[in-house]
Amino acid sequence: MDYVLHVLVMVSLYAILASSFNLLIGYAGLFALSHAAFFGVGAYATAILAAKYGITFPWPLLAGVVVTAVLGIVIALPALRIGGDYLVIVTLALQIIVTAVLLNWTDLTGGTDGIRAIPRIEMFGVKLDTPGRFLPLALAAAAACFWIAWRLGASPFGRALKAMRENEAATQAVGKNIVAMKLSVFAIAAALASVAGSLYAHYVTFVSAEGFTVELTIYLLAMVIVGGTGNLVGSLVGAVILAVLPELLKFIDMPSDIADKVRQMLYGLLLIVMLRLRPQGLLPESASAHHYRAPPERPPVDTPVAAAALEGNGLERHFGGITAVAGLDITIEPGRITGLIGPNGAGKTTAFNLLTGFLQPDRGEVRYRGRSLNGLKPHQIVDRGVARSFQDLKLFTALTVLENVLVALPRQRGDHLAFVYFTPWLVRREERDNLARAMAILEFVGLDARAGDLAADLSFAEEKLLVVARLLATGAEVLLFDEPLSGLAPNALAKVLPLFKRLAQSGRTLCIIEHNLDVIRELCARVVFLDEGRKLAEGTSEQLMRDPELSERYFK
Amino acid sequence: MDLLAQLVVNGLVNGSHYALLGLAFALIFGTTRITHFAFGPVYALSAYGCWFAAAQLAAPLWLAVVAGIATGAVAGALTYLVVYRPFERTGSPPLVILIASLGLLILLENAIGIVFGTDTKVVPAAPSGVFLWGPLVVTSAQLAQIAALVIIAAALGAYLTRTRFGKAVLAMTDNPEMARVIGIDTRRLSVVAFALGSAIAAVPACLILVKDGATAHMGFIAVFMAFVAVVVGGVGSLRGAVAGGLALGLVESTGMVKIPTEWQNSIAFILLFVVLLVRPRGLFGGR
Repeated sequence: MDYVLHVLVMVSLYAILASSFNLLIGYAGLFALSHAAFFGVGAYATAILAAKYGITFPWPLLAGVVVTAVLGIVIALPALRIGGDYLVIVTLALQIIVTAVLLNWTDLTGGTDGIRAIPRIEMFGVKLDTPGRFLPLALAAAAACFWIAWRLGASPFGRALKAMRENEAATQAVGKNIVAMKLSVFAIAAALASVAGSLYAHYVTFVSAEGFTVELTIYLLAMVIVGGTGNLVGSLVGAVILAVLPELLKFIDMPSDIADKVRQMLYGLLLIVMLRLRPQGLLPESASAHHYRAPPERPPVDTPVAAAALEGNGLERHFGGITAVAGLDITIEPGRITGLIGPNGAGKTTAFNLLTGFLQPDRGEVRYRGRSLNGLKPHQIVDRGVARSFQDLKLFTALTVLENVLVALPRQRGDHLAFVYFTPWLVRREERDNLARAMAILEFVGLDARAGDLAADLSFAEEKLLVVARLLATGAEVLLFDEPLSGLAPNALAKVLPLFKRLAQSGRTLCIIEHNLDVIRELCARVVFLDEGRKLAEGTSEQLMRDPELSERYFK
Repeated sequence: MDLLAQLVVNGLVNGSHYALLGLAFALIFGTTRITHFAFGPVYALSAYGCWFAAAQLAAPLWLAVVAGIATGAVAGALTYLVVYRPFERTGSPPLVILIASLGLLILLENAIGIVFGTDTKVVPAAPSGVFLWGPLVVTSAQLAQIAALVIIAAALGAYLTRTRFGKAVLAMTDNPEMARVIGIDTRRLSVVAFALGSAIAAVPACLILVKDGATAHMGFIAVFMAFVAVVVGGVGSLRGAVAGGLALGLVESTGMVKIPTEWQNSIAFILLFVVLLVRPRGLFGGR
């Protein structure tokens, strides 16, 4: 009986580890192979404080949480600049370093001997010295940690994390501070793993570095993959399966060191087979559409009145020896559509990147509302009222159409974890209002019927509409569209073009990069002709099209 | 001064080891874009192949090394054909293949442990000479490590630049999509890259077997160091991988003046961290 209870305690701890790991991998798409290190640091913090200094529960746990959260932030620092394989190797290196520290800082960690005789927890006069006595605490901790992870995952913050996983640039372009998001999710995931570590130390009363190696990280990874990335309930299922399955090996007669290896082979095999047959896991990430029930009333789509022109003065940008933009002066007048035309490689997209903070100019200044935008991050510029779309759309394809719009709505309380945890009612109310606003925007562009579908399932024309909806949702006054109509067949164009006409009439400030001169003629009050990184001409479309030199350049 | 000179020599020796690992890893990664974590156990398997031939079949050492290289080449090609290729065929994203390779790492590592046991395997008394060169001490095993790097790097360089097949490999390293477009049989090349890369890694594996013996877990630190050498040198550059490996060895060894041995891996980490922060594309990374 004790044996079954012991397995249950371990399942509880693994559930904490797997669900917090899933926040990093599944939600944020940050492939950090250092979760066992977070677990280990939490365990050692408790072991040291409890065994050496006699500090009693829960203080070692809380101290461990703080230390590990800081460690999580440190490891997040490289993740701010790099992703993919680089993050894998850096986090793997951290994992190795932590093991080295645990093994070699003998004075503090006991070196290869580890730390023994960690005091057990006493609660209400009961010493939690058997699996049965420990289980209630383990279950309660697992429930609390799972609740924390769940709240995060289901909040607007969690939605933004998934958006970041799908596309970082687009997430910045809808006004999210991805630096803060990465730091927060690393800190929380690490802190939760540390809770499991602390309880583990009190429970087994012994820690050693071998318990927290990369093999454990892979074991936890298997739980997340088997259960399903991006689905927290899946991580619970994964933890149960991978904790219980190897116990069945106990019924086969073999030496314990062989059994241990067979167990590990099993994880490896399971990981490969699962990825082969069902990469989305047993419980796939559900399109969370069913959580959203939009209220019937729709507020009007707000049309911010643009007061000022967006100006770029003397912008210059070089890439190595290539000059992409060379002394560009551009003014995007308020309340009308400015067309940006020019041959391929003229520097149009680079101009957008400079205006919206995705690139910093080598020289020159971007000004809006009398203030310089130089040095600001893209999300700060969105906040000031200037937002842009991308030529290659960069939709959040694994999110629903509605979520694509919701995530872009500005200044959400739910993007801040303090509000998510401490004033959930405010976040809920705001979310209800935002749902109505998002539906109104979808109605405006004509996509409301597809609100619950995944963005990946849209037709090309619908994707273009969603780009418009997402940009509108940012609430920015100045909207920069990078080829919003390119590649559309004539009949699809006939569907999307009226939308831009309506936008033009609404008094917004728009700038459109476009190659189709008919479209330009129909939409744009002013046209700026760019070539070789400079403005060559500016005027009405008729004026520009009459200029023989420009048309030669354009059609060369 | 003498100490420093000796440490530089030691650094070059260890650096040659890392450089070969980096070269092998970069060849596989550059050609196929697969983050091949199972590189580690395949490397270990080569050492066991060599050990089996030398200790169990009493083959002469040179023949045993050939057996080790052959083991590596076959095992490497098999990992691609049996595990990675099916993922590629169904268009799995790179991260999925990476996770699968972690699964394969742990699967193979433990399989080796079960088949061969956990004790350290050694080959009977390898011939070893000690050379004194002024104040410097160099063993023949160390010289062999440096020689292995020079010979293999030169041979690989000649192969890649002179032969049609080698040029195709280089083209694929440069731009896999373009290679496919111009009609290079990328599947066959991938098999060759895996076989060749694993064969190259088998040489340092055999040398380590002769020097320190082989264990089932030797592969993990090998793939880690190979990965670090590639990142430090610059992803996508074979020369960079060699330079990265040598830099890694030198920094590690000269760092030992001030830092105790047990922190050796930590030095690699610090180098990795600094390079990624200062020059994320690596020392020789282009673009």
